[in-house]
Amino acid sequence: MNTEKTPLVKVRHLKKYFPITGGFFQNKIGDVKAVDDVSFDIFQGETLGLVGETGCGKTTVGRTMLRLYEPTGGQIIFEGTDLTTLGEGPLRQVRSQMQMIFQDPYASLNPRMTVGSIVGAPLDVHTNMTKSEKYERIQDLLDIVGLNPDFVNRYPHEFSGGQRQRIGIARALALEPHLIVCDEPISSLDVSIQAQIVNLLEALQKKLGLTYLFIAHDLSMVRHISDRMAVMYLGKIMELADRDEIYLNSLHPYTQALMSAVPVPDPDLAAERHRIILDGDIPNPKNPPKGCNFNTRCPIAKERCFVEEPEYREIKPNHWVACHYAAEAPKK
Amino acid sequence: MTPIIEIKHLKTRFFTTDGVVKAVNDVSYSMENGEILGVVGESGCGKSVHALSIMQLIPDPPGKITNGEIIFEGRDLLKLSEKEMRKVRGRDIAMIFQDPMTSLNPVYTVGYQIVEALRLHNDMTKAEARKRAGELLALVGIPGAEERLDDYPHQFSGGMRQRAMIAMGLSCEPKLLIADEPTTALDVTIQAQIVDLVKKLQAELGMAIMWITHDLGVVAEMADRINVMYAGAIIETGKIRNIYKKTKHPYTMGLLGSLPRLDDPPGSELTAVPGLPPDLLALPKGCAFAARCAYRTEKCLAEKPPLVEIDGRDHAVACWHWEAIEGKKTK
Amino acid sequence: MTEINPEEITVTDFAVREHRSLWIDAWRRLISSRTARLGMFIVVLFVFSSTFAHYFLNYEPKKDLDYSLKLKPPTLVANEEVPSVHIFGTDKLGRDIFRRVVHGGWNSLRVGIVAVGISLFFGGLIGLFAGFYENIIMTRTERLILYGITGFVMGILTAWIAAQPFQPFLLAAVGIAAAYFNELYEGKAQRMLIFALLGAAVTAIPALLVSSTAALVCGIWGALTGALLSRPLDGRFFSNVIMRVMDIVLSFPGYLLAIAIVAFLGPGLEKGMIAIGVVGIPVYARLTRSAVLSVVQKEYILAAQSVGEGHGRIIFRHLTPNILSPIIVQTTMGLANAILSAAALGFLGLGAIPPEPEWGAMLGDSYRYLASGAWWAVLFPGLAIMLSVLGFNLLGDGLRDALDPKLRT
Repeated sequence: MNTEKTPLVKVRHLKKYFPITGGFFQNKIGDVKAVDDVSFDIFQGETLGLVGETGCGKTTVGRTMLRLYEPTGGQIIFEGTDLTTLGEGPLRQVRSQMQMIFQDPYASLNPRMTVGSIVGAPLDVHTNMTKSEKYERIQDLLDIVGLNPDFVNRYPHEFSGGQRQRIGIARALALEPHLIVCDEPISSLDVSIQAQIVNLLEALQKKLGLTYLFIAHDLSMVRHISDRMAVMYLGKIMELADRDEIYLNSLHPYTQALMSAVPVPDPDLAAERHRIILDGDIPNPKNPPKGCNFNTRCPIAKERCFVEEPEYREIKPNHWVACHYAAEAPKK
Repeated sequence: MTPIIEIKHLKTRFFTTDGVVKAVNDVSYSMENGEILGVVGESGCGKSVHALSIMQLIPDPPGKITNGEIIFEGRDLLKLSEKEMRKVRGRDIAMIFQDPMTSLNPVYTVGYQIVEALRLHNDMTKAEARKRAGELLALVGIPGAEERLDDYPHQFSGGMRQRAMIAMGLSCEPKLLIADEPTTALDVTIQAQIVDLVKKLQAELGMAIMWITHDLGVVAEMADRINVMYAGAIIETGKIRNIYKKTKHPYTMGLLGSLPRLDDPPGSELTAVPGLPPDLLALPKGCAFAARCAYRTEKCLAEKPPLVEIDGRDHAVACWHWEAIEGKKTK
Repeated sequence: MTEINPEEITVTDFAVREHRSLWIDAWRRLISSRTARLGMFIVVLFVFSSTFAHYFLNYEPKKDLDYSLKLKPPTLVANEEVPSVHIFGTDKLGRDIFRRVVHGGWNSLRVGIVAVGISLFFGGLIGLFAGFYENIIMTRTERLILYGITGFVMGILTAWIAAQPFQPFLLAAVGIAAAYFNELYEGKAQRMLIFALLGAAVTAIPALLVSSTAALVCGIWGALTGALLSRPLDGRFFSNVIMRVMDIVLSFPGYLLAIAIVAFLGPGLEKGMIAIGVVGIPVYARLTRSAVLSVVQKEYILAAQSVGEGHGRIIFRHLTPNILSPIIVQTTMGLANAILSAAALGFLGLGAIPPEPEWGAMLGDSYRYLASGAWWAVLFPGLAIMLSVLGFNLLGDGLRDALDPKLRT
């Protein structure tokens, strides 16, 4: 849990819009508001979980936070520096402090590079280590993530999905970063391997004092690993609170519906559970509804919801909600 | 009750340039009328391949069903000619797949595809088939069903497409519906809708359903029985409560232990199953799971354990040491 | 049953597949195809015989002339009438066709390699950069360079009109200024006005020294250039422009364009190589660009960026090795095409200057004697062309199957 209240990262009113072009001259006719005014803090040493379904913008948040996408607006204050105003040179240096683990273990490793070169690439770019120093460090890294260090000269296609993900983790750890954004790191893996990787990430966090932004759509896994959780829907954060608070006292109708939709591997519990089944589909992000983004499916939507966008406010200490009727939402 | 389908000693192999892939290894089980069977396992366990074997949709070459009998309504499906099998497919046994974008033909309207399925197996005029197609779309919960018959698959959302697929599958009122990972690609709230829908339809129409998935959570909500597969064989099978509450096989235990649950106490650890699934090109001599099993002995490495009944048909397990492990559950 | 205690299982490395390079896999697949083997055999034979003949056997085409042996049919054995052996017969000047076919192979090989080399180098670079910058945002330095180059290219026209070779540099400077001061009046009309005026001034004022009409024309062009460069153009724009230029070149029928270029440059095999090479540039540009597009969206490129790797490193270490497969296939087929084009040019009398042996030229010399029965003078060069093209095509087909990414695990 967060022992110090110093945010490692402060994200304020982050926006990322992707232009929609059309017409003969490919003029801009609109925007897909992938991330629409998102604000949150990540504290040193904690894991902030970011969940949501398709089109909610969680992956975009992760990538924009590292400036892999150029933000359309807002600020990202990482260890005191606003990343949005950094030039290319200083940005490259800051990159060594914040790394990313990607979703697809098959596409996130260059198939034509050896494992050693993949894991060593960050060292090539940012350090002046000699060849032997690098070699030693690479061996250490492979060992930390549970891979046999002798496999330095093998190619990614010789490994299974879970092992490739470990290689990706080793690469992310190479420069001893402070923050690691985990973008759906286990979604493509088998269930029994998922647990291995999650345990590894947790062990590494304890050992190296890492801070994680854990992005995923598997609510139970996110809940397991996170200290705090944020729930996103169509580019906005609907609710952000401590992990237990969200589970026991969720105030947003979407969060509650999401929780109740998660399957529980226990037939007795499954039978007794109160299920909130939402009507309808997730709206197209190109055409979000007027007013609250969730009004098309919300079980308690009232008139105000179709007109006015709810304010994202701290309704209880450390519990943020964006809903007009948060306090009234039916409890579990 | 006579089972609706009985599978006996099914073996499917793929003959590739790298060797022989033993995808399905001696699988035997049966399903009752109106039963929902969950077939659970990870990638490579053979769950999809065995379903395709039942439908005889295995590409040949390189695949081949080398052994077994599939008794459906008194006939062995493996002995039928292709022509006869085609009559069975769609009408008596229907299958729906994981990715509705690629399993629906994008250049034909959804209505056309349902009508085509209907007219293939029934003696209907176009008008009658179209009316029935509209009814089916409404049955699966698509609003404005009549108009949507003329829409193309890309005009439907993921959840809607899957509903359309279900409508197509049910169009000829099959006795058995095989669903191969139908909700894996869907969001969790949409998945809940589809699961709800399938439960309702099953109650109404009474068909048997085989639900193939890797998600032990999804089947917990709707299945009557579960088959847990590993490396092409069934390693535990039985009534749902037995599998979840009285787990006997170390792999099933490991699988259940590695799943985080929303009601877990904070700080609890996930018990991961160490190691990797075996290479189907080179299956070990004894138990396929032995290399990863905490309880293994010499016997496990030498001999393959058979599937033995613990509680009649309600619970069977393939493990040499199931009695000793009883009580040493991880959860 | 005895109590069984769970032991600590360490994660050992199971099921890491046999260490096999992707290239070896591809090679094995290649050899397993019969047609590919045939193609390889023909190509190897062709290359070997041509190279060997060129370096070890002497042949001086200018001295090769013997009217007494004019148009003799193929003979395997010397006799009274024909004192020497000519297994392919002789042509209209009494030259041994077999010798000329073998030495002609060297010329065809040269043409193939140089022409494809030109197409590959320029087309490949164009496609590489077009595809890359379509998706990856340019750095400030890159933008400065690109604007400078654009200004330079636009300046070539004014340099030609005013006969002042320094003009491109002036417009290049305007471009660099526009990129450097990219925030000046950003998004407003004043910006376009300022740079249009700047562009006009920079081109018109020196051109005044030549004539006022020149100054006027140059001024207008300079204004247009300035206005264009004042806009925030991104990689997508430039990629579009250059690919449309490629499309324009591609819209000309290949042979006609090659003939036009040779007519412009003059006859000779070297000029023919350049012509065929230039005609092939758009093909490689398109191919490379599409290969780049399929790779650049992959997560390992994003991962390289997140690690902080520069564009140069990404292009050459990450992108290039992964786009080689389609390029290898196209190069092989391209060699076949180049040989055919060279033969076509030679047949028309463009390309190899007689008496240089070249298959197409040999055909061109001898086809009129076909009616009088001298079939050998046409058949053997023709067969040589056909077989070499066939060989490369078969090899290319085999490579395409062997390198098909779908078959790679």
